Amino acid sequence: MNLASYRKKSPWILHYNAGGCNGCDIEILACLSPKYDIERFGMINTGNPKQSDILLVTGPVTKRSRERLVEIYAQMPEPKVVIACGACASTGGVFRGMYNCEGGIDQYIPVDVYVCGCGTRPEQIIDGVVQALGILETKTKELEESVRLKKETVKEGKQINRRNIADQVKPAMI
Amino acid sequence: MNNLWIPIILIILAPLLGGLVYGFERIIKARMQRRIGPPLLQPFYDFLKLADKRKMIVHSAHAFLGIMHFVSLWFALAVLLLGSDLILVIFLHLLSTALLILAAYSTRSIFSHLGANRIAISILAYEPVLIIIAVSIFMLTGSFDATAAFQSEQPLLYKMPLAFIALLLVLPIKLKKSPFDVAEAHQELTGGVELEFSGIFYEAVYTAKWLDYVFCYTLVYLFAGNNILLGAGLIIFTFFYLNALDNSTARVSYKQMLRFSLTVSFSLAFINLLINSLT
Ligand code: SF4
Repeated sequence: MNLASYRKKSPWILHYNAGGCNGCDIEILACLSPKYDIERFGMINTGNPKQSDILLVTGPVTKRSRERLVEIYAQMPEPKVVIACGACASTGGVFRGMYNCEGGIDQYIPVDVYVCGCGTRPEQIIDGVVQALGILETKTKELEESVRLKKETVKEGKQINRRNIADQVKPAMI
Repeated sequence: MNNLWIPIILIILAPLLGGLVYGFERIIKARMQRRIGPPLLQPFYDFLKLADKRKMIVHSAHAFLGIMHFVSLWFALAVLLLGSDLILVIFLHLLSTALLILAAYSTRSIFSHLGANRIAISILAYEPVLIIIAVSIFMLTGSFDATAAFQSEQPLLYKMPLAFIALLLVLPIKLKKSPFDVAEAHQELTGGVELEFSGIFYEAVYTAKWLDYVFCYTLVYLFAGNNILLGAGLIIFTFFYLNALDNSTARVSYKQMLRFSLTVSFSLAFINLLINSLT
């Protein structure tokens, strides 16, 4: 067994409704039901941002919910993936242009997967989550890579001298 | 020497064993709901994934208390499996729960506080029953040692069936199973005490849950004496009973839980104690 594949096997999902009509939320709950049973992929619907990997957002950002949305996103530890679930969460959907809505959630947090449909189907949600797992994998790999500076080293004689800078600044100050 | 090796191996393998029990339980629960359910090794996948996550802690004492909860629970299990004093085992288990409660109180999260309150109440519900059961075992075998129970010729189950029923009634509280899962209550408290743990520190609390399974099933095994077949039967019966109960009941409030446990379970255990001390 490839030990590194375990990451794909236990995605814990956090579900947040940013102000939709609850149509998508019911479909997400349908995924948990015996017919679709996403627990066979090891997914759990936790309610806790500190322990989850995937943020599943439904509904457009309203003026009330935007702070909570960003707060929840910030509380999730890396690596994390965001799925915009439904037309509302992706673009604003039927609520687009209303006085209390601000459109898709990608205006506030980075979104990795968009799932379309007004009232997404459970199959689409499962497909979106499975795609998100691939992204989670690459994100984890990126986190593990060692960080190197991309800039070239400074050549001899090209180093900036503090006195030179002071000379340039002095006339200006007077 | 043979007698000493089995508990030592069990103690070392306890987290693995508990993980397997938990994985199996998730499958059984899913099958009872006509689902397929996760793979058997799912708890270990969760374990490895949690180790990968970035570590976020509230403050260091909180994380430390979480780890100490795990360590002290393992210690309590070791003392039980090595066949030491039952009262000591019960209080060590209480200590480990108290550490978790302290950890939950040390954060500012209101959900964490609520969870800690409820765990304290559930301790109030199951602890007296456990102590009465330990005293009943003392009445029968003449010693508080778990070894005496493990080695008794006649299974304790035949002599104290009421105590076994009382234990079956408090086990759901201890393992946080429905109908007595107010302490965890995933829909309203999202985990309660374990709310603020994340990453590798949550792992300690998560694994402690597995250890709790081993602990509880060892308590059940105490009733079988030296009859291994009966012990296995009792454990399997308890396993299915717990899962069927978990799937078929709704959560009761903490007041109802306390009332039920202190009237029904406690009096069952107490009547059992009276009968044991009279005969
Ligand atoms: S996408 Fe459609 S069904 Fe889903 S929350 Fe928005 S309006 Fe409701």
